[in-house]
Amino acid sequence: MRPEELRGRQAAGAVPPEELDRLVQREFAVIGARLRRVDGVAKVTGRAVYTDDLTFPGMLHGKILRSPHPHARIVSIDASEALALPGVHAVVTGRDMPVPYGIIPWTRDEYPLCVDRVRYIGDGVAAVAAVDEETANRALGLIRVEYEPLHAFLEPEEALDPPAGAEPIHAPTKPGRNGNVTKHVHLEFGDVDAELAASDVVVEGEYFFEGTTHTAIEPHCAIGYYDPTGKLTVWSATQVPHYLQRELARVLDLDVARVRVVQPAVGGAFGGKSEPFDLEFCVAKLAMATGRPVKILYTREEVFYAHRGRHPMKMRHRLGASADGRLRAVDAQTLIDGGAYASFGLVTTYYSGQLLTAPYRFGSYRFDSTRVYTNKPACGPKRGHGSVQPRFALEVQLDKLAERLGVDPIELRRRNFLGADTRTINELRVQSNGFLMCLEAVERASGWKERFRRLPYGRGLGVAGSCYISGTNYPIYPNAMPQSAAQIQLERSGRVTVFTGASEIGQGSDSVPAYIVAEELGVPLDYVRVVSADTDLVPVDLGAYSSRETLMMGNAVLDAARKLRKRVVASMARVWEIPPERVALVGGWALDRTDPERRVPISEAFNIAEAEHGALGATGSYDTPKDVHGAYRGGTIGASPAYSFTAHVAEVEVEPETGVVRVERIWVAHDCGRALNPVLVEGQIEGSTYMGFAEALMEAQVFKGPEQGRAGLHNAPSLLDYRIPTSVDTPELHALIVESVDPEGPYGAKEAGEGPLHSSIPAIANAIFDAVGVRLDALPFSPPAVWRALQDPAARARWEATHGARRAEVAAD
Amino acid sequence: MIPPRFDYVAPASLDEAIAILHAEGEEAKVLSGGQSLLPLLKLRLAAPRVLVDINRIPGLDRLDEADGALRIGALVRESDVEASTTIHAHYPLLADTAAVVADPLVRNRATICGNIAHADPANDHPATLLALRAVVVARGPAGERTIPIDDFFTGLFATALRPDEIVTEIRVPAPPPRSGGAYLKLERKVGDFATAAVAAQLTLADDGTIARAGIGLTNVGPTPIRARQAEARLTGQRPDDAVLADAARLAAADAQPVADRRGSADYKRDLVRVLAFRALRRAVERAGG
Repeated sequence: MRPEELRGRQAAGAVPPEELDRLVQREFAVIGARLRRVDGVAKVTGRAVYTDDLTFPGMLHGKILRSPHPHARIVSIDASEALALPGVHAVVTGRDMPVPYGIIPWTRDEYPLCVDRVRYIGDGVAAVAAVDEETANRALGLIRVEYEPLHAFLEPEEALDPPAGAEPIHAPTKPGRNGNVTKHVHLEFGDVDAELAASDVVVEGEYFFEGTTHTAIEPHCAIGYYDPTGKLTVWSATQVPHYLQRELARVLDLDVARVRVVQPAVGGAFGGKSEPFDLEFCVAKLAMATGRPVKILYTREEVFYAHRGRHPMKMRHRLGASADGRLRAVDAQTLIDGGAYASFGLVTTYYSGQLLTAPYRFGSYRFDSTRVYTNKPACGPKRGHGSVQPRFALEVQLDKLAERLGVDPIELRRRNFLGADTRTINELRVQSNGFLMCLEAVERASGWKERFRRLPYGRGLGVAGSCYISGTNYPIYPNAMPQSAAQIQLERSGRVTVFTGASEIGQGSDSVPAYIVAEELGVPLDYVRVVSADTDLVPVDLGAYSSRETLMMGNAVLDAARKLRKRVVASMARVWEIPPERVALVGGWALDRTDPERRVPISEAFNIAEAEHGALGATGSYDTPKDVHGAYRGGTIGASPAYSFTAHVAEVEVEPETGVVRVERIWVAHDCGRALNPVLVEGQIEGSTYMGFAEALMEAQVFKGPEQGRAGLHNAPSLLDYRIPTSVDTPELHALIVESVDPEGPYGAKEAGEGPLHSSIPAIANAIFDAVGVRLDALPFSPPAVWRALQDPAARARWEATHGARRAEVAAD
Repeated sequence: MIPPRFDYVAPASLDEAIAILHAEGEEAKVLSGGQSLLPLLKLRLAAPRVLVDINRIPGLDRLDEADGALRIGALVRESDVEASTTIHAHYPLLADTAAVVADPLVRNRATICGNIAHADPANDHPATLLALRAVVVARGPAGERTIPIDDFFTGLFATALRPDEIVTEIRVPAPPPRSGGAYLKLERKVGDFATAAVAAQLTLADDGTIARAGIGLTNVGPTPIRARQAEARLTGQRPDDAVLADAARLAAADAQPVADRRGSADYKRDLVRVLAFRALRRAVERAGG
């Protein structure tokens, strides 16, 4: 068929001429429109293929034997009986993979399977591959492991100060150090002690953030296959295919060029799949041992053991302010309960302090954070990594300060606004900053001025603010290459294929490239096919963590798309004999802006360009600014190309007799720079706010203590007992988008996936104070905890006083 | 989350089912709605050798009033109770209870008889049926017998049933005129087991005093608890707030809570007091008092 024969059908599928005129006038044709996800239909109709949906001929099923002891030496392992069981193909133990791994290259302290020591109940000891799961499970029961129990550290304070003779959880990195300490960070900016001494008001508080886990609906799953030519392929429910590929090669001593990692559709991750896990090494090793594909699917219980969720943090905060409410000093001391392994803990320790310095200007700032190991599942990055806990403490401190000074808490936050195009006290560069707009949006939407401190007893409003990073300026392993790259290929039909390493975990990173390409190249959205997260096919992107995908992958795709756009535009300009600025690619057409009647279907424009330039393909990449951070040690950690800002107002109803807190509604305004697709941004804002609400009211990753027997055993490793709210429990959520247009983001976009979690929690705590006059400084705000706080006989009087004062003030007006 | 291996039989008659139970003894478990049994299997807390599915046995799904009592057959689902106009009109306590058991999907399968036969003190119907003075009808190889609800729960997950007996029916005496009941439950989230719950059933005499009171407590002891002191305090009294508050305090005293993930013993005891007062108030209102 000749190209002109295709023309009629293509024109029929493109935007009709009358709409085209309007589109050409607009700044964007696609960006900012309310659009579908590219994977939406497949997911809601059950056609999306997740890792556990994959099955291969001859595939074996693996299971991992897990430690029943919180801390013990492995004396011996005898797998002979298991190997003799019919249907069992292989058993591997720690000695088969004695290379330590870890997501942070400086803290590799974990083995695919424990070599000589187990460090928590659930630590992997041996793995079996068998013809089916039942046989594999039976085989696990036949493996004899002899343990020598060691002193188990369950509380971070004890780990910090171990009893004499108790062996630390890890060998000390240097002689004389406590092997139970992962990381200690002490940083001071300005003279905190002097500023505190000079402050008119000092607010002190102790806060506790309970550990919580991700509860992604899809459990971790991986399949390994080692083909006869010596190539390893691992399909995995991961959010970091690139790092996984590198670690598999390193630990298994393979050429990284012979390792392929494929990420099928992922059913939620939230940071819980952002580093390698034991099952990925085990399926690879078992596949190498058997020559067959091997699959391991975690049980829900194993997901709770794998964990890497929110660190429990004990925080002591002091805040000094002048009489007009300006923050002169913030002094934070934090003890972080890390669990058995480092995971991202080095970063967590820095983040617990570094990310607190916006959106408010601090006169001086000091933080002292220590992460210790304990004999429990390892904590790691959960949505809002490292900064959700200290944000809770700081925002409650601010509420207490406002109360002490008699200043409206929103006004107090305004007075301390950091500003745009500035540096924080720890020298993070902030460009766009829409925080004031966020405050104003929630203030207006919630009816704050008329209702704060004026609602009847039992009802209250609370406010909080926060900021978050849009990716990190420095990658996890030091290198000078771009953080994200993309490749685009144009077909003669008008279709476009985008290849990206970005990791779709539900946040929309398969959709964002399609929106960008449709915007730049003028093709209908459904002409764009996105191929992602398969290390054999796509250029490198570092993965879905620290809210980096939209900004970094978006910029890489934009870079490639603009190169192609330039070629197509140049060809059309030449054919029509007009300047290139007059050529528009929009809505399935190439057209002349000044004479829209002059137009061709986009495929024809592509054909003309291909005839002129040869095959139409381009690569693009993005790397972060590297010169914008403090020169001090650790100054690079927390540095991000752009920062998002959020404000929450929560409305609660507290039932004093039972301690039940009902969060009626939450207004949340989030500065995402630019909403590439408002539907996805609202989804992220609502999802984050929901997750914060869940942690505020009910979530708790907790373990049995010695008094309950089986010390260190997870207390609720199932979704029956680990509580997350259902839709019926969830408040009304009002997501308000604020766009500050950041110079660093694609079209000005910043992150939206993690920031809007943070202030959800302190806003609820502050609303409870407004409702009933008690402070909840420890999470979660469960009915028994609220009830206990309300047994304080002074609580009611405190409520009367705050509300009386406000009434007097109103009367004076 | 895969249950251990088990055999499965689906007998077509009650006699056949009982014969199998008799032959298998403790190794067999009756499957009706599976609300509790299936999670227990999946969590591998139970590993019965054989499941006896009674869902194909005809005649076990009656839900009607006869001879002065409501008959709830072994295959009556929570959703049947939720939807029944008779129950809403005359047994509001049962309607309240069915509406807060687990979630709608589970309620489409879960049975009231299974809910009591499992004898979990955290289940909701035991307290309700204690308050209503129900009678349990059980059938075994020797035929049918009736067990007063007060004698039914003998311990944690233990009942007066023999291994070869099946609960075929629950009979709830039809409440006299001027009766009302209510079930109030506090749960950590929708669909959860109760932190505590209180079932109250009252009948008012012509002079407006309380002729009869029934109070059952959920999940505050090793078995469902009948709050006898509280019942005694109410009988013969006018249902004013002072009396109800007094009875609520006594109900709290009758509770035997222990501390767990859902709260401290003190908290739960006080919660019983709060819920008992509210349930009694609502029961009085519904009785037209």
